[in-house]
Amino acid sequence: MSNIYNGVYSVLLGMVITLRQLFKPSVTHQYPYENDFEINDNIREIPVGFRGQLHNRVEDCIVCKKCAQICPVDCIHIDARKPEKGGKMWESMNVVHLKDQTRIVGIIDGKPPKKIEPDMQFTIQHANPEGTTHPDIPAGATVKISGDKVDRIIDRKKVVLFMDQFDIDMTLCLFCGLCTEVCPTECLTMKDSLEGIEYSEFDRENLIYKFADPTLYK
Amino acid sequence: MLAQSTASEERKFLELKPFSDEMVVSMGPQHPSTHGVLRLELRLDGEIVREAIPHIGYLHRCFEKHAENLSYQQIVPFTDRMDYIAAMNQNWGFCLAVEELMSADPKFAGVPERAEYLRVLAGELNRIASHLLAFGTYGMDIGAFTPFLYAFRDREKILLLFEKLCGARLTYNYIRVGGVSRDLPPGFLDDVREFIDYFEPKIDEYNALLTNNKIFLERTVGVAIMDEAMAISYGATGPNLRGAGRKWDLRKDEPYSIYDRFDFDIPVGEEIPEAGAVLGDCWNRYKVRMDEMKESVKIIRQVLDGGLPDGPIVAAMKAIRPPAGEVFSRSEAPRGELGFYIVSDGSVKPVRLKAKSPCFCALSALQELSRGLMIADIIAIIGSIDIVMGEVDR
Ligand code: SF4
Ligand code: SF4
Repeated sequence: MSNIYNGVYSVLLGMVITLRQLFKPSVTHQYPYENDFEINDNIREIPVGFRGQLHNRVEDCIVCKKCAQICPVDCIHIDARKPEKGGKMWESMNVVHLKDQTRIVGIIDGKPPKKIEPDMQFTIQHANPEGTTHPDIPAGATVKISGDKVDRIIDRKKVVLFMDQFDIDMTLCLFCGLCTEVCPTECLTMKDSLEGIEYSEFDRENLIYKFADPTLYK
Repeated sequence: MLAQSTASEERKFLELKPFSDEMVVSMGPQHPSTHGVLRLELRLDGEIVREAIPHIGYLHRCFEKHAENLSYQQIVPFTDRMDYIAAMNQNWGFCLAVEELMSADPKFAGVPERAEYLRVLAGELNRIASHLLAFGTYGMDIGAFTPFLYAFRDREKILLLFEKLCGARLTYNYIRVGGVSRDLPPGFLDDVREFIDYFEPKIDEYNALLTNNKIFLERTVGVAIMDEAMAISYGATGPNLRGAGRKWDLRKDEPYSIYDRFDFDIPVGEEIPEAGAVLGDCWNRYKVRMDEMKESVKIIRQVLDGGLPDGPIVAAMKAIRPPAGEVFSRSEAPRGELGFYIVSDGSVKPVRLKAKSPCFCALSALQELSRGLMIADIIAIIGSIDIVMGEVDR
């Protein structure tokens, strides 16, 4: 008799607990139709420092290969070469990122300011005599740009090596983050945004990220 | 050579010679209740299991051999992939071993105080997450689907905390040789406190939901008794040993890190005659885990109340280059004692590394445990010894 009582009681107790849950909001999201990140009352921000996809701001990369050395699965392939004898070797340079997502590599007059005000004027000596790093600015030209167009200015260190290849095979990557920790210029980062998380591709080739940009040097 | 390999191939599939009215059934490797890729070869007499032989190796990734070609820092992310449910504790176990090797080096100053606290915080949170998964999937194996959803709802909260702490949800790579990789993000301790305040009453809810449920009791009480002597002879540790009534926990008995500063109990299995529970049965192994979650909450609360000391989070050192020698060090992971044996020749890479996995030992007892029981009980046993195949196979 007590056996029956116990059985019924414990089942009912479980029912009560689940019944209480019935009146609470649902915690399940129907991804991808219902995006976790967009639902209002259950907003979940991707935390700062999330280890998503890798990204390299190549203009800051000094090709030290530290990242390729520490990578446990050897998924970073770097190829670099010394400048030819007599060839021009770029000293430190500035990379001016404009607000329309383009950039100019060159040397600006004076030191880059800490904070960019809209009324500032920058004179940029376009560093590349043969090619161009910006679609509208001819090679070797000197241009004046006002501060309201400029997003940020980065000081690039002295270029000792030219980067020919910088590939990261994201299909092999462990997302361990070791490479971003050793990078001395902190140009190799992991995206902590939605695009660092959602990146399915149909073609494996698209997951091999090629960061090398020859227009930066020639 | 060829003949030999063919013979062994044959053996692989016909290890058991059935008697005339018996049959051999292969269970797994893709079976939801085998917790990974485990294949069991069962010799059945009707529904009664005469013999169950586990075949392992489906997740073998040559961790130990691979580690010989990697520097100590590079091995840490690979330990994440051993027991991926409790990756923090795996990181920690490995780092403890390397630090023990390094302690012979006078230049190594030891792990900073703050890092020790961060490790305890992360390790205990991960223990809760791991036991939650064990609880949820065990319920599901036995046929109760609700606990699974409840456990995952709360485990998700821990994963969100870890995501803030170290940027990853499963493979943390957080605990490093000599410290931890990142300091606390702002507001993290408040989040942890909020979580444990929320979580502590939930344990009682789980107990009402599953632990004391009549159907669950019928399935687990008195089933597959692994008594203390048997547990010790198989080398089973952790909740499996404590469920058999032996009060043995490295955090108390051989305190590593700063566990000697905290006040917590070690739950052990108990005999409950009216329910029929005996030491070392499935129910007791399971119950120990539920009680351990409470103790982990206690430890986390003490860390939060005591406050974390200031200071560096990683020991200053040029390169991780332990002096020549060998070490065996063990720590208490959620699934038992995790041991690492490392031989160093003074270079940046280990000469030999061996991981002693608690799940492997627990799984080896399966054969003896399951003899003479029903097929359905095998599911109950696998869930109650709580194995993770990533760690069994490495
Ligand atoms: S995050 Fe990826 S690329 Fe970077 S070190 Fe780890 S495995 Fe290599
Ligand atoms: S560590 Fe940083 S600077 Fe060095 S090669 Fe890699 S990305 Fe470039």
